[in-house]
Amino acid sequence: MTAMIQNQESMTPAVETKMTARDVKVFYGEKQAIKGVSIDVDMDNVTAFIGPSGCGKSTFLRTLNRMNDTVASARVEGTITLDGEDIYAPSMDVVQLRARVGMVFQKPNPFPKSIYENIAYGPRIHGLAHGKADLDVIVEKSLRRAGLWDEVKDRLHDSGTALSGGQQQRLCIGRAIAVEPEVILMDEPCSALDPIATAKIEELIHELRGRYAIVIVTHNMQQAARVSQRTAFFHLGELVEYGVTSDIFTNPKAERTKDYITGRYG
Amino acid sequence: MTATRNPTDWRSDAMRRRIARRYAAERRFKLAGLLAVLLSAAFLAFLLVTMMGNGLRGFTRTEIAVKVDFPASPLLLDPNAITDQALANANLPMVTGEVVKKALGADAEEWVSPTAWTALRDAIKADPKILSRTETVRLPASTAIDLAAKGKGSSEAEAAVDRLNKAGVLSTGFNMGFLTASDGTDPTQVGIWGAFKGSLLTMLVTLALSFPVGVATAVYLEEYARKNWMTDIIEVSINNLAAVPSIIFGLLGLSIFLNVLHLPRSASLVGGMTLALMTMPVIVIAGRNAIKSVPPSIRDAALGIGASPVQVVFHHVLPLALPGILTGTIIGMARALGETAPLLMIGMRAFIATPPGGIVDPATVLPVQIFLWSDEVSKGFVEKTSAAIIVLLIFLLAMNGLAIYLRNKFERRW
Repeated sequence: MTAMIQNQESMTPAVETKMTARDVKVFYGEKQAIKGVSIDVDMDNVTAFIGPSGCGKSTFLRTLNRMNDTVASARVEGTITLDGEDIYAPSMDVVQLRARVGMVFQKPNPFPKSIYENIAYGPRIHGLAHGKADLDVIVEKSLRRAGLWDEVKDRLHDSGTALSGGQQQRLCIGRAIAVEPEVILMDEPCSALDPIATAKIEELIHELRGRYAIVIVTHNMQQAARVSQRTAFFHLGELVEYGVTSDIFTNPKAERTKDYITGRYG
Repeated sequence: MTATRNPTDWRSDAMRRRIARRYAAERRFKLAGLLAVLLSAAFLAFLLVTMMGNGLRGFTRTEIAVKVDFPASPLLLDPNAITDQALANANLPMVTGEVVKKALGADAEEWVSPTAWTALRDAIKADPKILSRTETVRLPASTAIDLAAKGKGSSEAEAAVDRLNKAGVLSTGFNMGFLTASDGTDPTQVGIWGAFKGSLLTMLVTLALSFPVGVATAVYLEEYARKNWMTDIIEVSINNLAAVPSIIFGLLGLSIFLNVLHLPRSASLVGGMTLALMTMPVIVIAGRNAIKSVPPSIRDAALGIGASPVQVVFHHVLPLALPGILTGTIIGMARALGETAPLLMIGMRAFIATPPGGIVDPATVLPVQIFLWSDEVSKGFVEKTSAAIIVLLIFLLAMNGLAIYLRNKFERRW
């Protein structure tokens, strides 16, 4: 993280704004999935996106590292910046962007390779390691940070797919942080996990906070309340309300937020 | 739910009959499946039994044991200086005729094969000391005697065989020549090696052309090409290409590779190129299906940590799709190996008595050799045809075995 460019639009200088979205619209063919969303993501707080199914929270998350590029019919309007740089500008290399903005998916998706190879793959393709010893250090550090080291240190060369679901998801988080990203996007990372594994992931999110800007999409409101400091409520492709998590849950300003929080729909 | 409906009586007769019908239908279906399996097994067994019955005799030859009194024979050889040159100058064919006449009678020269002298030569080469004593040498019988000994000869030859049997000199040996020689006119002297080598070279050319092109096409269509009417047309064309009768590919090879590009006629190169055209669509279709079946989550995972599209393909998609691609390749190659028609069109049906030295030499392939031998009038070719079929089937099994080995080796679970 060199040469931090201070974002001019940042209203509160206390927090360091990492990513900025301004009036972002996403279309799938004719259908508009996101209707003008503006939001800031900062380094110090975990940001949660909540909302009912199909509200566009995952779609919006995927615009932040341009994963929507892989969908042929998807079109993005508006500006999204990372450290003040427009990520949809022609000069932005999407491969490098995705190394800087890592992603963890809904279903644990380790590569069908060894645990070691899962972690080492990213550093290797980006040339981050100099030699085998250096790579070993990166693998150990990433697995430690993902809270998985003690469980797997004796079987690094076993297949990553042989781990339990929760371990697989932590392996995926370790894989994402092995390339030293600046932002980590998590798309419902616990929806396929049992409560104990979920608790471990949430604990991990707490530990990672501050080191990386973290954005988490969740359909579980309790989870949003537990892990995040900022919450954005999406409904029908619109950003209804965005603010401090405790305010959203205890004192929502918008009527729709209140209805959702109180379980009127969802 | 309406109040007027009675609760279902699960024990009523109608219910029992329905259950009985269901079980009967299941039994009928099982029986039909079993019959189908048995029928195909019976066909396979019939094929193998007839093939083996005829074909195994193609691998054997009738030999006549001849007592050779070397010191008394008209052979002029120094036991201490046996060289290829000396053996070539010794006029062994004439000597062989003389020793056979001396041992078995005046009309016996016709009974041994015209190449019987090579057996004498090999015996001397193996042990030059036999030149100073009397030794029994097994000489291959002529086609007429060989057929008669196997029960299919003329009455004249059968009489000779009776005489030989009484003398106790007839025996059956393994016909090594069948595996090392090439096509010929005398059925006891023909071999499969030329056609085998031709098949091998042709398959190598086919594989070298169709595999990379087919896989690259599959990858491009699945991973890069935008889905529009152009790719739809390409997809339909590839599917149609896979169904085009093979003789049409032969005509294509004839008109383009031979008439336009002037590549050598009858060569494995042209044969391989023609068969590659035929195999490629099969590989493309199998490859696309294999690539499609790689879970999208793996692509997402790789893209999500900043792998470029080409890295995603080569590091993740292709290794996972490889078993499926290999299966498709082997199906295509197996079809190409057994293909005759297109090769006839490009001149690979010529009589070729020397094995090809390279891919541009005139060659023939196993199925064409089978076709040619099945057309021969001489009875001796019947068992050679069956024997060649056995060789072709073994080739095929070896190829499939290799494919299964490779597939299991590369197979990964996720």
